[in-house]
Parts: sequence; structure tokens; C-alpha cells
Amino acid sequence: MEDKNNIALSVRDLKTFFYTNNRCNKAVNGVSFDVEKGKTLCIVGESGCGKSVTAATIMQLLPTLSRIEEGEIKFQKDNKIINIEKLEKNGKEMREIRGSDIAMIFQDPMTALNPVYTVGFQISENLKYHTNLNKKEIREKCISLLNDMGIPLPEKRVDEYPHSYSGGMRQRAMIAMAMACNPKILIADEPTTALDVTIQAQIFELMDKLKKENDTAIILITHDMGVVAELADNVAVMYMGNIVEAGTADDVLRRPTHPYTKALLESVPVLGRGKNQDINPIKGSTPDPYNRPIGCQFAPRCNWQTESCDVMPEITQINETHQVRCHKYEQFFEKYK
Amino acid sequence: MTTYIIQRLFIFFPMLLVISFLVYSGLELSPGDAVSHMISPELASTITAEQLDAMREAYGLNQSFLTRYWIWLTSMVQGDMGYSMAGGVAISEIMVKTVPATLELSMVALFFSTILGCSLGVISALKRGSGTDNSLTVAGMAGVSIPEFFFGLVAILLFAIELKWLPVGGRLLPHYETLWDRIPNIVLPSLVLALMMTAGAMRYARSSMLDVLAREFITTARSKGMPEWRVNILHGFRVALTPVVVLIGFRLPLLIGGSTIIEQVYQWPGIGSMFIRSVRASDYPLVMTISLMYVFVVLTASLIIDVLTALIDPRVRLGKE
Repeated sequence: MEDKNNIALSVRDLKTFFYTNNRCNKAVNGVSFDVEKGKTLCIVGESGCGKSVTAATIMQLLPTLSRIEEGEIKFQKDNKIINIEKLEKNGKEMREIRGSDIAMIFQDPMTALNPVYTVGFQISENLKYHTNLNKKEIREKCISLLNDMGIPLPEKRVDEYPHSYSGGMRQRAMIAMAMACNPKILIADEPTTALDVTIQAQIFELMDKLKKENDTAIILITHDMGVVAELADNVAVMYMGNIVEAGTADDVLRRPTHPYTKALLESVPVLGRGKNQDINPIKGSTPDPYNRPIGCQFAPRCNWQTESCDVMPEITQINETHQVRCHKYEQFFEKYK
Repeated sequence: MTTYIIQRLFIFFPMLLVISFLVYSGLELSPGDAVSHMISPELASTITAEQLDAMREAYGLNQSFLTRYWIWLTSMVQGDMGYSMAGGVAISEIMVKTVPATLELSMVALFFSTILGCSLGVISALKRGSGTDNSLTVAGMAGVSIPEFFFGLVAILLFAIELKWLPVGGRLLPHYETLWDRIPNIVLPSLVLALMMTAGAMRYARSSMLDVLAREFITTARSKGMPEWRVNILHGFRVALTPVVVLIGFRLPLLIGGSTIIEQVYQWPGIGSMFIRSVRASDYPLVMTISLMYVFVVLTASLIIDVLTALIDPRVRLGKE
């Protein structure tokens, strides 16, 4: 897209397949997107549509039965382009990128921290492997990181174990861990699903602040459309391993052109509209990944389905930023304009 | 932590007291007494009831059960373990001879089985589904299911009789002077004992490790760019260790009592064989001393387990701080 220098990570035609019992699950089936520096890309979609696998692929943290089939993950590091998909899975180069250039925070802070080590130790591991700081400096940095994350009494808390932290504090500690080496990209895989709403807002505020201060690109994986509206600069809507619609937050949320995006937006109640508002859940459920529909994956659940949907639609560029994968998008767009 | 240990010690002694009373009552209920075991069957017909009563009086067996228990208890508290009724030897002397022998055997076995069991279990878990894992699994199953006396006899047949590499049994012989002389004797019994225990520890370590490796914090560690050894050992094994420590801790008392069979097979002059003999002879003072020692080891072992798990896993908080 635009200026190449703005792009921190560029994913092209990425395919990640899972192999179990001689069957192949095309979990990520040709996904392309760009992540701009200092911007938030939200990847949204139902459960099981390949969001988390996409994230794990970027970090090369896939389980043993899966592999990157084809495609490119280009990461810009010190003005050099690194093809992440070509690196050895747990090799030295990949490990140097993990944690220092691309960091990740996980869904459930209750299980994502090791229960037998202090929070300080777990943050310091990152610094120990990716910086040249000495022990004393590492400790100071840990304390200041916890302080930045708004954890009270960081000098004391740094030596405490995760079990004495509350859920929200653990997620802050996770973010402190991820931000320890000022990563260029932060991948957040549903970071607030396990937390209550008030904590959610605090965590997102924190992430937004970090994005602005450090120019970090954020890939936020979520299924919460409210979160998308609040935080996203760009949005990619995924369904069954494909991106069905992508664009700026304005494009996708205000002018949805794919029936699936529209359906997702309509299935969320809006605060303040009262009890009588129409909530339309998407009919049916996601298809069996081993027994996929031919052509457009959403067709069986779509109100706009026609014969032409038996062929997988190509990506169409609506304007400079907005793209969609649907045969009927013109009619659809007309109707809801 | 300190308060916890002190609390435990407070329960320790009442428990010893109660158990000692139960064991004493058990002995009382069993048929026959020490005197009936002292007289050989050939003499039994010639001896009169008066003579038997005289013997009982001489040994103090005609006193009431509670009086005898009280006498035993008070002298025990003063550190006097008394004399064996069967042989007349001071019990402290018997203990000095047998306890080190058993401890020597079991400590060596515990040491090797712990190290070997943990490392093989971890390797097995890391290479899950590979040829190494499968063969270790088969070996582990065999180790758990083959009875130790059989394994011990096969080992004697192979290494002592056929290959003549190692002695058949025994612990100390008159001409043994240096430690080096004694090592060949301990190799076979400790190895057989250790192999049995390795199998169990290995299976345990493997499943515990597999469980931990599937947890999310392992992915977190990997996402921080840690090398694989650090992910597996520092983050994985450290957490997987807790249940393994509990298993090994529960084996401490087993080591004192459980090596009885191996001691018999290898004529190891340990405490196990002594215990069996003393029970047969209704040798009250000796049975009491040995069983109290077992109780003591069991209680100490569970205390050690508690302290160790608290050290390994900070979530286990002991007592009130």
C-alpha cells in the first residue's frame, strides 16, 4: 500500500494448515494484510476462524501438527526485510525477534504467567536475553515497567508471585513483560476476554498509550465489535481462514460491504438503544473445517447467496483502503448506503 | 514456615505415643508370648506350668498389660530401648548394626532412581511419540510390573553367577577394609531396588511434564524468545517437579520397610529381615523400637515433603504468616 516505510509487518497470501488424523484443516487460507507503525489493526471474526492461528504464525508459535504452507511474512528490522516464514521455528534468529521485536500478550493472564516464578523474574528474562543491561539495571527497568503499567508499590510487587496479583494486574504484568524491550509490534490475542469490563477499559487505555508513546504497531485480535470501534485504526474481518473485508475502521464499521461484517455488527446490542432494539444473531454456525462449502465460505449462512457464490470471490478494491471479498458487494453496498 | 514446622512437631509426639500404644496392644492380642517362643518344641512337653510361670515372672511378663506398657514407655523416654527378648542383646546394639546397612542400601537406590527417573521422564515427555519414548514406556511398564525378588534373582544369576562380575550377596566381610572393597556388594541390590523405583518415577515425571508443557505459560516463555532448554527445564520441569517430589517423598518410609525383600534376596543384614524375625518371636521391645522408627520416618518424610513443596511451589503457603 502507501509508503513502504510505514509498514512494520506485511503478510502476503499466508497459508497455515493443521494436519490431524490424515486430514487437513486449512486454518489460515491465504491471508494478506499490512500492519502500519503506530497503528492498531484489529482482526475480528467468530471463534475458530483463524484469528489466533494467524497470530501464532507470525510468531512461529504453532503447535507441532501445523505448518506454514506458503506465503510471506515480511518484517522490517533495522531497514532490512526479514522473511519470518523462512526462519527456523525455534532457531536463534526467530528467538531474537520474539520478545524483542514482536511481543505477544495472551488471552488468559491467569494461565499465561508461570506460577512458580516472581513477576519480576519473568519480566527480567526478556531483558536478560534481548538487552545488555546488568542485573541492577534490569531490576530497575522491571520496577519502572510495572510502575508505567500502573501497578501500585512496584518495588514490592516486583518480588511477588503471580498468584498474589489480581486478574487485571496480571494482564498489566503481561503487558509489562511484552513491552520490556520496546517491541515494534505487539500482538494481543483477545487480551481482555478473561477480564471484567472496567479492567478491560483500563487495559485498552494502557495499550493505546503505549502505541502513541512508542510508535508500536498493535495487532489486536478480538471478537468484540465495541472494542474495534474504540481502538482500531484498521480492521480485517476474518471468516474461515480468509479475510473477507478489510479497511480503515471507518470503512468497515460505517460502510460494511460484506454481508458477514454487516451480520457481525448487527449481532451486537448497542448501549442506550433500550430493550426493544433488533439483535440479529448470525444464523447457523461456522462450517466444519474438514467439510467446507465450495466457493464463498459464508454462502450457506448468507441472505444474499446466489449461484455465483459457488466460486470463491476474488478480493475487490473498493477504494484505496477498503477491500472486500464478495460477488454481490455492489448491490449490497447500494442497499445499505 | 517456621511456625508451620513447629506446629507439625507438636502433633508429632502425641502421634508417636498413640501409635506406640496401638502396636503394643496389637502384640498383646496376638497368640503366644515371648516365653512360648523361647522354648524349643522338643522341650515343650517336659516343662511344667510352674516353670513357665517362673520364666514369665523373670521377664516381667506376668504383670498387667498397662503396667508393662508404662514400664516400656518410661524407659524408652529415658533413652533406654531395652534388650531383645529373643537374643538378650541390647536393642541399641542391634540398631547400630542394622540401621546403617538399610540406610546405605536405600539411600543409594533413592539417589539414583530419583535422578534417573526424572531425567528419563523428561526426555520421554519431550520426545513424545518417538522411538525413545515408546521404548522407555515399555521399559517402565516392565519395571513397574516385574516383582523385585524375581528381578533380583535374575540379576544374581546373570551378573554374579554367570558373568562373575559382582558378589552374590552380603554386605561386610572380615577382610573388607576400605570403602572400595564394599562397593561391589552394594551395586546389585541397590541397582535392582533403584530400577524398580526409577520406573515409577519416570512414568510420573513423564505425565507431569506433558501436562505442564501443554500449559499456556510455556507458550509465553517461548514468545519471549527463550531458548528451548530454558523453556523446557526452567519453565516446564520446575513446575512439573512438585508431584514428582511428593511421590519420591512418600517413598522415604518405603525405603526403610520396603527393601525387606531385596535384603532377603541379597542377605543384606538390614532392618527389614530383623523386623520379620522379631515379630515371629513376639519380641516386644525390638518390635516396638523398629515400628516406632518406621512411624518416625513416615512422619518425618511427610514433613519433608511439605517443606519441599512449599519451596518449589510458592502457591503452597504454609501456616499463617
